[in-house]
Amino acid sequence: MAEKRELKSVVPLLIPRSYMSTESNLTGSWRFLKPCYDEKTAPCSTACPAGEDIGRIEMLMTQGMFKEAWETILRENPFPAVCGRVCFHPCEGKCNRGEFDDPIAIHCIERFLADTARRNESKPAIDKLSSKQEKIAVIGAGPGGLAAAYFLAILGYTCDVFESMPEAGGILRWGIPLYRLPVSVLRSEISRIEDLGVRIHTGKHISQDFLEGAGNDYSAIFVGCGHSRTRRLNIPGEDIEGVENGLEFLRKIREGEEHSFDGPVAVIGGGNTAIDVARNIIRLGSKALLVYRRRRQDMPAFDQEIQMAIEEGVEIRELLAPAKVELNGNEYTLTVQHMKVAGKDVDGRAAIEPEGDKIEEIKVQRIFKAIGEEAAEVWYNPPDEKEGKLILSNSVLVSRSQGAALVFGGDLTNKTKSVVHAVASGKEAAIALDIFFHEGFDAIEPRLKTCAVGDGPSLSMEIYMGGPRSQRNHHIVQYDEINTDYFQLTSRVKQPRLLIEERLKTFGEIDLKISANLAMREAERCFNCGLCNQCDNCYYFCPDLAVIRDNSAQGRHINYDYCKGCGLCVVECPRNAMVLEEEGQ
Amino acid sequence: MKRVLEGSQAVAEAVRLAKVDVISAYPITPQTHIVEFLSEYCANGTMNARFLRVESEHSALATLIGAATTGVRTFTATSSQGLALMHELLHWSSGARVPIVMAEVNRALAPGWNIWTDQTDSLAQRDTGWIQLYCENGQEVIDTTIQAFRLGEWVNLPVMVVLDAFFLSHTYEPVDVPDQELVDRFLPPYEPKFQADTKDPRAFGSLVTPNAYMEMRYNIAEAMEDTLSCFEEVEDEYEGIFGRRYGSVEPAHCDDAEIVLVTSGTITSTSRQVINDLRARGEKVGLLKIKLFRPFPVDMIRQTLKSAKKVAVIDRNISFGASGIFAQEVRAALCNLAGHPPVFGYIVGLGGRDVTADLLEDIYWRTKNNEVPEKESIWLGLQEV
Repeated sequence: MAEKRELKSVVPLLIPRSYMSTESNLTGSWRFLKPCYDEKTAPCSTACPAGEDIGRIEMLMTQGMFKEAWETILRENPFPAVCGRVCFHPCEGKCNRGEFDDPIAIHCIERFLADTARRNESKPAIDKLSSKQEKIAVIGAGPGGLAAAYFLAILGYTCDVFESMPEAGGILRWGIPLYRLPVSVLRSEISRIEDLGVRIHTGKHISQDFLEGAGNDYSAIFVGCGHSRTRRLNIPGEDIEGVENGLEFLRKIREGEEHSFDGPVAVIGGGNTAIDVARNIIRLGSKALLVYRRRRQDMPAFDQEIQMAIEEGVEIRELLAPAKVELNGNEYTLTVQHMKVAGKDVDGRAAIEPEGDKIEEIKVQRIFKAIGEEAAEVWYNPPDEKEGKLILSNSVLVSRSQGAALVFGGDLTNKTKSVVHAVASGKEAAIALDIFFHEGFDAIEPRLKTCAVGDGPSLSMEIYMGGPRSQRNHHIVQYDEINTDYFQLTSRVKQPRLLIEERLKTFGEIDLKISANLAMREAERCFNCGLCNQCDNCYYFCPDLAVIRDNSAQGRHINYDYCKGCGLCVVECPRNAMVLEEEGQ
Repeated sequence: MKRVLEGSQAVAEAVRLAKVDVISAYPITPQTHIVEFLSEYCANGTMNARFLRVESEHSALATLIGAATTGVRTFTATSSQGLALMHELLHWSSGARVPIVMAEVNRALAPGWNIWTDQTDSLAQRDTGWIQLYCENGQEVIDTTIQAFRLGEWVNLPVMVVLDAFFLSHTYEPVDVPDQELVDRFLPPYEPKFQADTKDPRAFGSLVTPNAYMEMRYNIAEAMEDTLSCFEEVEDEYEGIFGRRYGSVEPAHCDDAEIVLVTSGTITSTSRQVINDLRARGEKVGLLKIKLFRPFPVDMIRQTLKSAKKVAVIDRNISFGASGIFAQEVRAALCNLAGHPPVFGYIVGLGGRDVTADLLEDIYWRTKNNEVPEKESIWLGLQEV
């Protein structure tokens, strides 16, 4: 062993280290920019007429909190299982992820959550305000009326819903075909509305007298009678027996009436009803011919529905205007005038004019008219008088000096006729009435603005009721505000569907369920625009250890004694849930 | 237990036995196997260490400086361009006095791209304040790496364990892998002399004015000086437990040698054979292997070489505009010694070119047949171009 010697260097060890704790150096005093947690509004949630908190729903989904995610939908929309299936999901069109790869399949996740809750027989924990004295009557148990009753019940009102048909649901029950919406799904959604205390009186036809006489019993009446009459073609022969209304045909099928056709059937129109009628005919074993006076791209029907109709064999004949109908033996001759495009009309669709005198005769076994619907009774529409009338985004409120206040909603007050717009009108009506009862007529418009999602017109019941969502900044997060370095390209979940051959044999649901793992993976694609999902990036990147985790809803706060305001946390926040403000503002 | 190991795995085994806490590295040939083994050990639970992936060698070393400042045992490995990229942080780690251990696989620098062995990469970092230990074979690699932690933690300086690309890093040899229990006895858990602690926050590496900077540098110089004797003590203890020692330098047949070849790395092994052959033919030749390059063991080198008539230094490296780097250092060590022998420098084997026994014998005869060196370093084995 070598002789041990005294080492020179080990003590003392000279290194540049502060003698005292650096805690006395409040580096926060250097700050002129201040980072703050600032949750914002996702574009999908403003695009949703029901204002669903989609970014949060997807976040809860990724965390496996399926019930909480479902309840988050229910706060804004009583029909997740229905909308997950039949909604045309305008949310997905505004999804920021669409600029990165593909939008989130929001409707698939909505349906998954609703179906999962139903399978587990979950009971939602939805806050309901204490009972109020006002009673509200709702005419029509369609999506608009049921939504109005649902939201009114949440706000503490007693509601009676009157429905002329033997079962509630309106267009959902009697119009939308089974292959898009199974009846059991609808029934479970409606029973949940009844569980809130809403009383639904079916088989009760309401006449106009009710509006005048009901004032004693009810403080307000919601009129959501929808479209139940098909418009007339106004051509010779349209009243011949066998020339039928498309909507009525759909209703009869949903009532269980059996139909069969011996040959090809013509459907006149280009809306969703026309498409549904044609697809029903295909399922009844016949050939369907869709006759439309403009072009396919001008059809008001949802594009995906048109696409599936074509896949299933519906033949679309464009630029043909019906001129007359004749019956020869048991065969109908539909005479059509060929049309041509002549510029654009006010809606941006093709304007058309006859192409000379070119006509064509189409021989069919039956003819259905589906060129649009209208209110069956004049009083279903909002009155013309201007006095005391408030035209809102999706509904019309009429305050009368005598009798109950009236609110008109559903298809009759919506430019876009969709289930989710009907829900939006019901929600708007409920909030508007609540404001009207408590703060008066003049407060309605300004107060509605405060519960808009982003810049509106979608409204949030949660914001109105002062829930956590009311703390959010109304700024709508744009794609370039997302830090996409934190996301990888991943493909959107593909909606599994029945094979076409299978579809044609049954009225069974076409869109099949997706598994929990696919749904979670899809939800993980969501940027959660503007929302904090506790990713902890701010915590990891803070060079001053100034992000302090805590028990608050935010889960963390910033220690401004030491935050230098470098802004790293804000830049590294993947989803723009933080903001850098000038100090002192 | 004797195992047949690749030199890279010998490093990895030593790091495992040293119970390193944090590893951060960026892969580069020929170092890659080392970090592959280690990342596997971390992934499969063989090691209870954090393996931090980073985007560059610069970040790897920066990461370890941070980790080591919190008082944990740290390791990295690199080579050539990777080491060059670390340059700034090499200075920082010695200035910060963090005992990081690095395996440095000697590889030539580009261009032209060359992955083969060459000592210029590590020798170019001689002034960064790192201890440098050059290894000859797999056994020496595993032993030296274990010792490096003990040594570095003792004097608070970072340590580079240097091994030749391929000849050592990728060659399988029988290696005695020490028992964990014995290694634990030799190398107890790291007891840091200072520690960053969020509960008692201090500023590290802050501004130092002219009235204190020089003292801090002197402190490092003293630590380097101490390292010479500390290394001896570390070796003593290692030998006591494992029965092996290498020495800062290792003289062979030097007592009566007229000509001494000075070598490092794997060239030493070939030289041993050449020396033995020449000795069998009656030549008075000796061999001095230099293992510890920083700090440079000046006294021991003087002691060994003072009685020789001539010294031939074999360099697998080049300091352009000067000479082979070992030759420079040996000359500097001897120049204040009255009547010191002339130093012949030879540049061989750059970029992995083979250094054969014939070439080494040629060096001996050239040295013997010339009175004085014709140049500071002579390049051998050059082809006509």
